[in-house]
Amino acid sequence: MDPKVNGQLQKDWGGLIALYLFLGGVGGGAYTIAAINSFLGKSMELSTTVGLWIGFPALLIGSLILVADLGNPSKFILAGLKPGTSWIARGFWIISLFMVFSFLHLVIHEFTDVNQTAGIMTVLAVLGIIFAILTIAYTGLLLGASKGIPFWRSGIVPVLFVISGLVTGHFLTMIGMVVFYEGASTVTQFRTMALEASIVVVVELLAILFFLHAAYKQPDSRESVERIMRKTIFIVGYFILGLGLPFLLMLIIRYTMTASGPGAILAVAFIGALFGLIGGFLLRLAILVCGALPTLNMGGFQFRRIAKPKDLKPQIGLMPPQ
Amino acid sequence: MVDATTTKEDVWIPTCCGQCYCMCGVKVRRQDGIVTQIEGNPDAPTGRGSICVKGLASPHLLYDPYRVNYPLKRTNPEKGLGVDPKWERISWDEALDTITEKLKECQERDPRGVFFQATTTQASEIRFGVIGFMKAFGTPNYWVSGGGLHCGNGAHFMNGIMHVAWSIIPDFAHCNYALNFGCSKGHGAGHVAVMNATQVADARFRGFKNVVFDPFMSAQASKGHEWVPIRVGTDGALALGLVNSLINEHGIYDAEYLMYKTNAPYLIRPSDGRYMRDKETNLPQVWDLVDNKPKIHNDPSVTRVEYEDEAHEVALTGTYNVDGVDCQPSFELLKEHVKKYTPEYVEKITWVPAATISRIAKEFGEAAEIGSTVTIQTENGPKKIPRRPVATHFFRGAQGHTNSGWTCLSIDMVNHIVGAADTYGSALGLGGTVQDGYKKTGKPYQIPYPCPDGLLKAKAWVYDHIPYPLREPKPPTRLDLHDMFPTSIYNAFTICSPKWFDILERFKIPYRPDVMINFGSNSVMTMGNAEAVTENFLKKFRFIFSFQLYCTEFEEAVADIVLPDACYLERFTPAVSFPSTFSHPQGEDDWGWTIRQPVVKPLFERRDFNEVMLDISKRCGILGKYYKGLNDVVPIRYGGDLEEKNKLVEDGSVEHSWEDICDRLVRDRFGDEHNLEYFKKRGLFTWPKRKEDVYWKWFNPSRVPVYFEYFIDSGEKMSKLWDEYQGNDFFKFDWSRFKALADWYPCPTHTEEDPEYDMHTFYWRAVAHCNSLTQQNPYLDECAQEDPHVYAVQMHQDTAAAKGINDGDYVWLENPQGHKVKGWVSLCEGIEPKHLAIAAVAGHWGKYMPIAKGKGVFFNDLVEMDLEHTDPLTFNQDICCRVKIYKAD
Amino acid sequence: MPQYGMVIDLKRCYGCYACVMACKVKNHTPPEVFWARLLKGERGKFPNTMRQALPVLCMHCEEPSCLEVCPTGATQKLDNGIVIVDKDKCMGCKACIMACPYGARYSVEKWVSYFPEGLPLSDYEKFAKNYWEEKSGCGVATKCDFCLDLIEKDKLPACVEACPANARTFGDLDDLDSEASTLIRKCRGEVLNPELGNKPKVYYLAPR
Repeated sequence: MDPKVNGQLQKDWGGLIALYLFLGGVGGGAYTIAAINSFLGKSMELSTTVGLWIGFPALLIGSLILVADLGNPSKFILAGLKPGTSWIARGFWIISLFMVFSFLHLVIHEFTDVNQTAGIMTVLAVLGIIFAILTIAYTGLLLGASKGIPFWRSGIVPVLFVISGLVTGHFLTMIGMVVFYEGASTVTQFRTMALEASIVVVVELLAILFFLHAAYKQPDSRESVERIMRKTIFIVGYFILGLGLPFLLMLIIRYTMTASGPGAILAVAFIGALFGLIGGFLLRLAILVCGALPTLNMGGFQFRRIAKPKDLKPQIGLMPPQ
Repeated sequence: MVDATTTKEDVWIPTCCGQCYCMCGVKVRRQDGIVTQIEGNPDAPTGRGSICVKGLASPHLLYDPYRVNYPLKRTNPEKGLGVDPKWERISWDEALDTITEKLKECQERDPRGVFFQATTTQASEIRFGVIGFMKAFGTPNYWVSGGGLHCGNGAHFMNGIMHVAWSIIPDFAHCNYALNFGCSKGHGAGHVAVMNATQVADARFRGFKNVVFDPFMSAQASKGHEWVPIRVGTDGALALGLVNSLINEHGIYDAEYLMYKTNAPYLIRPSDGRYMRDKETNLPQVWDLVDNKPKIHNDPSVTRVEYEDEAHEVALTGTYNVDGVDCQPSFELLKEHVKKYTPEYVEKITWVPAATISRIAKEFGEAAEIGSTVTIQTENGPKKIPRRPVATHFFRGAQGHTNSGWTCLSIDMVNHIVGAADTYGSALGLGGTVQDGYKKTGKPYQIPYPCPDGLLKAKAWVYDHIPYPLREPKPPTRLDLHDMFPTSIYNAFTICSPKWFDILERFKIPYRPDVMINFGSNSVMTMGNAEAVTENFLKKFRFIFSFQLYCTEFEEAVADIVLPDACYLERFTPAVSFPSTFSHPQGEDDWGWTIRQPVVKPLFERRDFNEVMLDISKRCGILGKYYKGLNDVVPIRYGGDLEEKNKLVEDGSVEHSWEDICDRLVRDRFGDEHNLEYFKKRGLFTWPKRKEDVYWKWFNPSRVPVYFEYFIDSGEKMSKLWDEYQGNDFFKFDWSRFKALADWYPCPTHTEEDPEYDMHTFYWRAVAHCNSLTQQNPYLDECAQEDPHVYAVQMHQDTAAAKGINDGDYVWLENPQGHKVKGWVSLCEGIEPKHLAIAAVAGHWGKYMPIAKGKGVFFNDLVEMDLEHTDPLTFNQDICCRVKIYKAD
Repeated sequence: MPQYGMVIDLKRCYGCYACVMACKVKNHTPPEVFWARLLKGERGKFPNTMRQALPVLCMHCEEPSCLEVCPTGATQKLDNGIVIVDKDKCMGCKACIMACPYGARYSVEKWVSYFPEGLPLSDYEKFAKNYWEEKSGCGVATKCDFCLDLIEKDKLPACVEACPANARTFGDLDDLDSEASTLIRKCRGEVLNPELGNKPKVYYLAPR
């Protein structure tokens, strides 16, 4: 345990922002998969439906959380008035447009005759995929715009978040499919998605290693890497349980459970996906809480905000009788 | 509710800060009746518009919700550390009735049973309520708890002898090279902190070099030109090493200065170490090298008052036959005496490399530019005086040891060897005790003068007794046997002894501790081991009442009644920067007499200490005597007698209000036009300082000792008296310290043989804190937390690694007597690896001071209060110790 | 229009926290908010160790990275070079806090007392709370504004006024004759972490 609270670490963005980053990723990821799967036709119907049902609501909730985290939520609309001036202002429109497209896509997909609206759905899906990817990337770009936190400045963060968004999107979709299980076809889709997920997990693994390695090479972000490598939520929560375990389970579903019944596959898929989701959230949380200010250099000295022991808060004590 | 944008009242009131003893002039902002901001007062020479972090943080002192606002009564008869006093709010009438009753009972038993304990933080308030009452009531028993014992018995006393000043400090404006022995002067703490800081910063800017000897990298060491890590408590040995190196290795000394401004040429009789005295006049003799015969020290032919005077050279070395006795000048004896302090010998003691000692002595000697002069403008036209741009200076760190007295004298000796004392660029007495007063009234007048033996005597001082000549040891009447001891102001080893009452019995003290009056001190924490202080000393009083701002650990443990005192923003004090021993910046800036005035009326039922003491005196029927007491203290403390019309009426027929008393004092000093009303508007009165008062050495006919002949006498008298009482049954005194030539003596820290206790520990002064009061201020607490070391035990990384201790770990520090304190470590490189450094009077546990509670380490708990840990010469407490360090859970 | 900036002479500075506290009592900032802050550094192995304090505040950068990320226009750079936050426009996204590499920005969700929770507020804290909520605000980004209100009255920022070591010099950096410009030029003033490219307007003079 670290006996001290490190003053270099940022403490203004915490759990809520991590949740938003997560939901942005998972929503965008699930939508992207759904939209791609929609081109594959009937065979992936359930995953398409579930994915569409995830995309819009996830972003809606995510945006609400984002607004709730504002110091001054009533003023959030101001962010939309100056598009193009900052990443948040851009993000405002990216998310808004994505929500519009994904909402329309969902409504049309669910409530119209698919044969009649195939054309418009294709257009929506293409636009939706673009904005979904932008939405996820934006969660990384938001961090990347933070000049005060060198750890986040890396260009790999948006890529990492997109990949992780696709992974978690897969997982949440799979959980949705477990809930809305439709029989044998679902199992087939599982097997396809398990393979997809495994591949993307490998890509994510490469991305995260590349990210950490690059950050470690930069003196200003090295401290963050050292901290994140000591974080249980990162190593155990994300790396082992949130990435390794789901990867293993997905491979098992794909290659060793060929003879298993649907119940077993569903259970394994559910467990793997759940851990993967939690891992996705913990990844973002760990990256946030390990964000450290650069060390200031002057006259050969390195200046840092001081680390304080954790237990200095005063108790109320006794008042002299009044 | 105050509206920040539509405030109606917005005024700045000039007064004087009271967060420590520095007495900086301030302006306090009051908006709609609320104190909101504090700034330095540019008119005040103390500060000149800047104040420190503590003063700035004052709004929280005034408004802290934990302040005591009403009189409190202890309802739990049990006393002791950690006991719940079960406070009950009472009325002022009830409180004062009880107090009067207890005082009257004591008066009947023996008024000397009253013991007044005060704080140094409110050093100016003490001069009225405490001293006046003591004189009126008839008790000699008094102390300022940790103040003095930790910081001043050695330093102030010795600086009083050598400079008629409270401390010494380089003339930063002109000094080029200084040696700093464990003191933070000029770096945020210590007397006149702010102005010194300004001056040192300016000096650094122009290339001033400061070599700092300190076991850890203090603020001053970090700003110094060179940090020389030194083993704690060995500064005296280092200083003597420098003296030896200067005289005997490099042959550097200022003969002119030694001949005419010190007793270095006084001839010493080899048989008993006393002065050779002229048969007719009984005055000490020197050897005139021109006439080749002995002369009395103040014979005009061998005296140079001013530098431009002419006089015969006198002998500093050699042997001369006077009336058949072969005698030597004291300098010859000193020169021989210090020969044993070779760089190699000193290295073994101090851990400072021999080559470094030798080099620094050379650098210092060369930087002194002996022989150089400068012409200054005096009242009597331009005068040439020596220019000596070097100085040694020291304070708490160097002098808080069992070798305190001689360490102080040894460090200052380095100055006197090169003539760098109270002249241009040299070590100056800090606090400005030399001045001829405001022209119109001639007050405060405090020009020192020589005693018949030619040695320097102060004209004004903080106490009734000036530092020199020493008092005659007398049969004791005080509870700490103080009367017997000529070289101290008070001590702790007697009153904190578990055998205190046996001692009183043996020394025929006919009374016992009875009523303690406490003014603002938290002596449970500020002196030494809390248990010893509480059990052996404080619990021996029948009744204790306390003027206090908070219910501190002291009140919790032992107070019967707590009176809610006003803080400095709620009270009048007519003289704050005076007595001037420590509250004036050195250098050529003006004199300033500052007052305190209430910025707001005392809140709730708080009342000003001095007003309440008047009230209590009236109730005790001693008001007239109280006035007389105040009339009596004015001449020595404020430099000059009171005019008849301004004296308080001593027969008690007139009742003087506190404001009236304030008014009379300032009018008396500065004329009727500068009355209290004038002071209320400006906050202070300033008048120009004469250059010859800044650099007074070569304008004053006095000399200072480098050979302390009179200590021998004093020690003999004292030991004789001691033996009469068979004092050795209680305390085995080391009388050998009462001698004429300086030496270094080891502390228990240096003689500890148990290898388990391998770490040396000591405390240091953090800039955000002063004494224990500031610990409860949340602004200052937060500031202290911003520093990596203030609330931690500073420890060297390698030492910690060897002991398996990590950064932030909780540890115990335990001394050989088994007393231990807990804290967390902060690892660093800036500390001598065998040392542990702890800051401030921290580690509070009081339930009524939650901000202070649990912050930092209670170092003083490791301070032992026995004679073994006391300097036998000055009774300064030993504030370093050996400890073992081990991990706590 | 003057371009305000500051020079801090580290040789003069001895780390006394007066600037920190002067800022506190002038702006009544709540706990853990330090518009003016003091960092402490150590270097070198014993006994060749050195320590130094570094006072920091908003650098009022010529190219403020906080300005770039502000979505609402709350962060503005005035004509005189001072970077301010318009609390009425700030939605509290804290992106600017993350964008400032000097850590100069602070935001508090709600005003917090310096004393333990549950006590009635003292008169001073009532004033401080009111002052903070009106002048700076809760939930929004706050920062040093070089004491704009004092500058407008031809006074110096509180930290400059308070410094006992006279380590701080405030002035117009466009005026080559100003004391600040002269110091930068003659004593080779440097900015913190110049590689960040923000072009701070707070310069430092070397500690040794």
